[in-house]
Amino acid sequence: MKVYTPAGQTGPEPIGLAPSPPVLAGKRIGILDNTKPNAGVLLGRLAERLADRTGATVSLIETKNAALAAPDDVLERLSKEVELVLTGSAD
Amino acid sequence: MLELDGDDPIELITAYATHGWGDGLPLVAPTDERVTAMLGADGKDPAEVIAVLPPRSGLATRRMIAVNAVLAGCDPVQLPVLVAAVQALAHPDLNLRGVNATTHPVAPLLIVHGEIAERAGFNSGLGAFGPGNRANATTGRALRLILLHIAGATPGPGDVSTQGGPAKYSFCVAENLAESPWGSYAASVGVTSASAVTVHCGEAPHNAHDMESAEPAAILNKIASAMTSTGQNNAPISQGEYFVALCPEHAAACAGAGWTRDDVASFLFQRARMPAGELRRAFDLRAWEPWQRDIGDDELMAMTGHPDNIKVFVVGGPGKHSSVIPSWGMTKSVTVAVDEPRSTES
Repeated sequence: MKVYTPAGQTGPEPIGLAPSPPVLAGKRIGILDNTKPNAGVLLGRLAERLADRTGATVSLIETKNAALAAPDDVLERLSKEVELVLTGSAD
Repeated sequence: MLELDGDDPIELITAYATHGWGDGLPLVAPTDERVTAMLGADGKDPAEVIAVLPPRSGLATRRMIAVNAVLAGCDPVQLPVLVAAVQALAHPDLNLRGVNATTHPVAPLLIVHGEIAERAGFNSGLGAFGPGNRANATTGRALRLILLHIAGATPGPGDVSTQGGPAKYSFCVAENLAESPWGSYAASVGVTSASAVTVHCGEAPHNAHDMESAEPAAILNKIASAMTSTGQNNAPISQGEYFVALCPEHAAACAGAGWTRDDVASFLFQRARMPAGELRRAFDLRAWEPWQRDIGDDELMAMTGHPDNIKVFVVGGPGKHSSVIPSWGMTKSVTVAVDEPRSTES
């Protein structure tokens, strides 16, 4: 017996991640805090340690609602002002 | 297509499970014959993309919706309801990406309104939330299978609900239009087609019973108490809606005293409140309306930001049990018309 498979095809690929900079020295790190509990603390400390070890600087901190996509103005500032963004923290 | 050795239903669920498909329950084999029958002869293009569903970016074509309808056990007469439900799921206001991603046990409640509810055999009366009615059970189940398969809301990679929930198997009911003293819910939000669906992403129903009262205020005070809980996402998220499913007897008591649907919502908005300070102590993060931020700790805070967020419809049979269906929060309900073949009856 032949049966259909249930998932079908996928549409256009969602926007992918930009390639990471090979060297972080002199680069600017941004934080996109999704405001989940302790996300800002975790991402902030991670960014500081990453900057200390590589010679980068932490230059921009933005926040967004965890349940919604980041607003366009936030994404625009991040894309213009930093070369690396740290984001994402669950409960 | 997938080739199976025989037509044993156990072989189908076993083969599907090896691919991570299915909801754990037995499935109807989606053969080409059954899928063709599901699509019917209405002349609509089976390849038409009704919606692209996140997080997988799956193409919900008519054919793939029909495949999942067959799997769930639907009758072809139910397909237009399912197509409309998929359109509602994809509406930006519903925020399906968030609904599928959250740790909350949210599930889309599908409410069927109007002529198609009767024609397709949906239950709006006694026991409407189930079990026992094929249209309610299989349409709700098909919507979940579409989320699992096409949208990719698979527990783990696509759905991280901490505990899951029974409403995630099937969550579909028809509005009891015959016993609604205020007419159709769909018409009340501006959708005046003969048939329509509403999708509200919320929790499983919370019971609110009142056997004693003939007065609307006494009945609705109990319903307000079921809405007033710091365990619900509505508490910290004021844009969240409540769907209040009134049983016909409670609705009749309200309407008999001259109360409109909006009066019921306004009263519940007034009564479903708790001290603002208690809410502030309970939640570090609060998505409240600007005006709510200035309410003092000792004053009472409404459980939602506006009376319009309290949606009242009628469902069920004899008895005095209504229910409250709180929201996930960062979502809005969507009501859309059902595009169905014209009846041949004059």
